[in-house]
Amino acid sequence: MQINVNGTQHEVDVDEEMPLLWVLRDELNITGPKFGCGIAMCGACTVHINGQPARSCSMPVGQVSGLITTIEGLGTPDAMHEVQAAWVEHQVAQCGYCQPGQIMSAAALLQMNPNPDDEAIDHAMSANLCRCGTYPRIRAAIKAAAQNIREKSA
Amino acid sequence: MKIKLFLLKTAALILMPAFFATAQSVPVQPDEISQSRAAEAWSKVYQVFSHPRCANCHVPDDNLPRWSGPSYGKTSVHGMNISGGQSRIGVETVMCSTCHAHSNSDEPHGPPGSPVWMLAPVEMLWWQQSSKQICEQIKDPTRNGGRTLEEVAHHIQEDELVHWGWDPGKGREPAPYSAKETADFVTLWANAGAPCPE
Ligand code: FES
Ligand code: FES
Repeated sequence: MQINVNGTQHEVDVDEEMPLLWVLRDELNITGPKFGCGIAMCGACTVHINGQPARSCSMPVGQVSGLITTIEGLGTPDAMHEVQAAWVEHQVAQCGYCQPGQIMSAAALLQMNPNPDDEAIDHAMSANLCRCGTYPRIRAAIKAAAQNIREKSA
Repeated sequence: MKIKLFLLKTAALILMPAFFATAQSVPVQPDEISQSRAAEAWSKVYQVFSHPRCANCHVPDDNLPRWSGPSYGKTSVHGMNISGGQSRIGVETVMCSTCHAHSNSDEPHGPPGSPVWMLAPVEMLWWQQSSKQICEQIKDPTRNGGRTLEEVAHHIQEDELVHWGWDPGKGREPAPYSAKETADFVTLWANAGAPCPE
């Protein structure tokens, strides 16, 4: 089966029912997306499929059609996505385990809503859990990233 | 003459059952028996529509999916602050498809899924509604998606998301009866004039 991850086409020989997260981590060695719960309850495995957020732990690879983006493809250390830059600026991460998922969810949110208020952030981000409790910094970083994106596109 | 009369009588005997068969399929004044059968059929339809597998997503304009039923312990709104938004598919909040794939997860407590996953349109409210309220709603084309009752029966028999109610995946109680039986109950009830409970 063919899948496209971060702009690269890969041929993978796996069962169609295998969760996308397994394919990414174990077959393609793309380890940005993390395993937290395996049942779409924590958000650590969040990737984008055609720009939409998806919990890769609960997405059978055979159901994926289109372009997959992981945290590795969102931006690079030299050319960070605005959300990644804001995360660095606000020093959001503690242990960091949940953060690839947080960033992917935040980037998807800003694509739909360029100026989210607290309520919109709460709706979009409440299914991404952080055991270190970095939520206040996540909120601040999302608002900063939103402002930067708006200013750049103004 | 006698032969003619005989032929006429024979023809009448042959044609009469056909006449009655046709007459029976034309909606006649619903008698008491058909009314009680219709009421029984509707009460089964109500058992299905008010079952958690159906009612949990036929929610009011708070747009919050419910978690209720034998598999969920106490009744609550969907965890993690999930809202379907006015779009009823989470466009304004977080898309339902973020977690709900095209099929049920096989993992214990994993997310259920179907090729379509969304809240029912807001006017099709079933959550905590009485039998009379749902009965009146399902007959009202302004609140049932513009359907005739025949189309409602067809929808129950054909729609993938509706069918999920009978195949909800591990750890969830399916809706009672089957899609086909439920569609048949609707047809029987509709043919008897679709009476609603008082
Ligand atoms: S690992 Fe996918 S949501 Fe927790
Ligand atoms: S930073 Fe540790 S879990 Fe979120």
